[in-house]
Amino acid sequence: MNRRINFIGASLITLCAMLAMPAMAQQPKPQYGGELVLTGQLDKTMFPGRNTDAQGMDVYLNSCETLVELTAEREIRPLLAESWSASADRKTMTFKLRQGVKFHDGTAFNAEAVAAVFNEALAKKFLYVSLLEGLQKVVADNEFQVSFQMSAPSAALLPNLAYRTMCIFSPTAYKAKGEEGLGSNIVGTGPFVQTEYTKGVSVLFKRNDKYWQKGKPYLDSIRILFVPDATTRLAMLESGDVDRVAGVPSFEVPRLTKEKTISLRTISSLQQHYVVINNQAKPLDDPKLRQALNYATDKAGIIKSVFAGTGATLSRAPTLSPGVFGFADMREPGKDTIFPFDLARARSMLKEAGYEDRNGDGFVEDAQGKVLSLKLYGRKAGVGDYEIAQLMKTFLEKLGIKIELVVLESATFSAALSVGPKDAKYDLAILSWTVPTADPDEPMMYMTHTKAWKPAGANRMFFSNPETDRLAELAHVESDPVKRAAVVRLWMAELLKLAPVIYLPTLNLTDATRSYVYGGVYLPANVYDGTSAWIDQTERKRQGINR
Amino acid sequence: MLRMCANRLVFMVVAGLLLLTFLFGLFHVIPGDPARLIAGDSAPEELVASIRNAYGLDLPLGVQYVAYMGKVLTGDFGVSNFSRQPVLSIVGPRLLNTAALAAWAMLFAMVVSLILGSISAMYWSGPLDKSVSIVSLIGICTPIFVTGIVAIYFFGVYLRWLPIGGMTTWRHYIMPVLILGFAQAAGFTRMVRACMIEALGRDFIVTARAKGVPQHTIVFKHALRNALLPIMTFFGLGLGSMLGGAAVAESIFNWPGLGRLMVDSILTRDLPLTQGCIFFFAMIFVLVNLVVDLLYRWVDPRLSHD
Repeated sequence: MNRRINFIGASLITLCAMLAMPAMAQQPKPQYGGELVLTGQLDKTMFPGRNTDAQGMDVYLNSCETLVELTAEREIRPLLAESWSASADRKTMTFKLRQGVKFHDGTAFNAEAVAAVFNEALAKKFLYVSLLEGLQKVVADNEFQVSFQMSAPSAALLPNLAYRTMCIFSPTAYKAKGEEGLGSNIVGTGPFVQTEYTKGVSVLFKRNDKYWQKGKPYLDSIRILFVPDATTRLAMLESGDVDRVAGVPSFEVPRLTKEKTISLRTISSLQQHYVVINNQAKPLDDPKLRQALNYATDKAGIIKSVFAGTGATLSRAPTLSPGVFGFADMREPGKDTIFPFDLARARSMLKEAGYEDRNGDGFVEDAQGKVLSLKLYGRKAGVGDYEIAQLMKTFLEKLGIKIELVVLESATFSAALSVGPKDAKYDLAILSWTVPTADPDEPMMYMTHTKAWKPAGANRMFFSNPETDRLAELAHVESDPVKRAAVVRLWMAELLKLAPVIYLPTLNLTDATRSYVYGGVYLPANVYDGTSAWIDQTERKRQGINR
Repeated sequence: MLRMCANRLVFMVVAGLLLLTFLFGLFHVIPGDPARLIAGDSAPEELVASIRNAYGLDLPLGVQYVAYMGKVLTGDFGVSNFSRQPVLSIVGPRLLNTAALAAWAMLFAMVVSLILGSISAMYWSGPLDKSVSIVSLIGICTPIFVTGIVAIYFFGVYLRWLPIGGMTTWRHYIMPVLILGFAQAAGFTRMVRACMIEALGRDFIVTARAKGVPQHTIVFKHALRNALLPIMTFFGLGLGSMLGGAAVAESIFNWPGLGRLMVDSILTRDLPLTQGCIFFFAMIFVLVNLVVDLLYRWVDPRLSHD
């Protein structure tokens, strides 16, 4: 009898708890204290001007803040700048700065500090200066107002300033320690103060008690362990040695989903894979042929076999992914992606371009009987690059094109794809492009514009089209968002007609966190903002983790 | 003895300098531009050129070589292209970490292999010998990244007995040392067994047995000491593969050692750092061989008189 009463009582308590849980889950109250242990990778310096990699930003963003920030919802919001305005001729952008903010070394954050950082970036050619094209100088108008003076209007300036690498470090610390000093001890205004750093091992950030956002951060500290091996990273998460792991391999997702102590989160990244087509190499100068290559590529097959169905999504627009300014769905009605897989259509386009299998050997030949043979460059690096290269060979050989797959080591590959059209040996190459500022200016002006042909820019296709160039230049200066978005859309439509590359899926990012961690923001640039992160200490103890 | 040591030390320095010259040449022959890797794939050529200029990578090869070797002779191995920290300050702690891992693993491998190899030889062809042979065969055939990951998941994730990555406490040492040591002990055991079987069949062992010397004295005092010469050579050579294995173990167990650093520096074409890593790796190898030579003389005093 007693047992039955106990059982009923327990069931009622459980039921009540279950009913209460959704409400509690929606409004968890942040707790102060605890150390959050993350995994990361930092092969280069921590100095923002010399490390623009996502891995680097993921580390120094804890200490170093930008004037404006790009949120997870892809909105530009104030951070160290409270507001901004443009001059009538749109050549000057003025920022009103937050007052009462101090760098971790005790010096004041003010207009002079901002001007000093950006003027130094221009003078010393920090790695991000290409994003500040047209910026002549930065002037401190008064203590809390700073002006960016441009040679021509640039709609991309604001989103570019949200790029985490353009954070404001302490000019005093910079003068005293130089790039090398800040490279191992970054001094900014951020929520955490860097206190320890052991190269190749770990970095420790402690709570900034004087942080300008009152009440934040919640954590006592963030420790980042540098763990290069993905399997080890996951094992450390599962054993409770660390609290969060980014870049979870797609094939591990189904297994980890079943783990109750681990929360998985998948977000769409700003990175899209693509196959470079050397537009200057005959017969790839023919848009018909390039379109045929696009239609012959089974993008869904790539997602299924390389990304386990979850690690990537079908692209809906050329180059731009959702969240990038001006992104629009450019798919044909009823189709699941741009250039949907259609081998018959690809064959017919290839025929229109003058190629068909004339002797029945399975390969297409031109009118003179010459087999269409292309050289595809790939590397064993990145997320799935090598696997995609192998699949591309299969897809294109099904179309009847002979493919020679050249797999190179990373540095050699990089060198082979950093040359001008005369020296380029590749017909096709597997790469990916990222739009970390979520603004289309970089892909328009720097990745596809005629002036951006390698080695000057990042146009490795040697693609050139007067109309896309014109539209890119128009979008570069247009400040009206509606008009600018319309121009971007026209630009994308042109790209679909001209198919300068083979468009592949957009990468997803998955991070795995112990279920007692709340509040941390996973940003599309593949960085983690721990300003609002907190730990449920009771749950952590319950899971047997007593670090 | 002193003269031999002096000769070997001079040889070490010459070998090191030749090695640095070879690496310098090799890095300039293979494709890949360090400045491009620093700037990033998408960086404009103007920026890459400014980095090339700032780091002296645009100077004629001969000038770069003379400047580099001149600095090396004064103990300055330059600064890393990526972190901009002095190579010595990066390599030094890493070298000690690798040395700690390799030394403990080597000690484990030597002790285990000497015991198991000797027992195996004593009970030659018996079930114990066969069991030891099977275990050592498994050890030889299984790569470290397999045994390492299995151990991580079993002892680290499933049982939660041991920490997985890093080298903070003595408990962090257990898995990497045992895994690396086991791989090495497997090969060593077979060698010890073979040498001991041969030694136990020699005439002086028969004499000792006829005199009624106890079995353990025959095996561990008489046979083992005579079998030690080839075994020591094998141990010395084994250190080379141990250091190679350490690079893998360091990656799996997140051990901040020289092997991991070297692999990373090669992939990023960080020439000064790679040169520093390989130079000190080679120096460890040469030093260990010197120690082995000295031990030869201790084990077999006849060599000192040659």
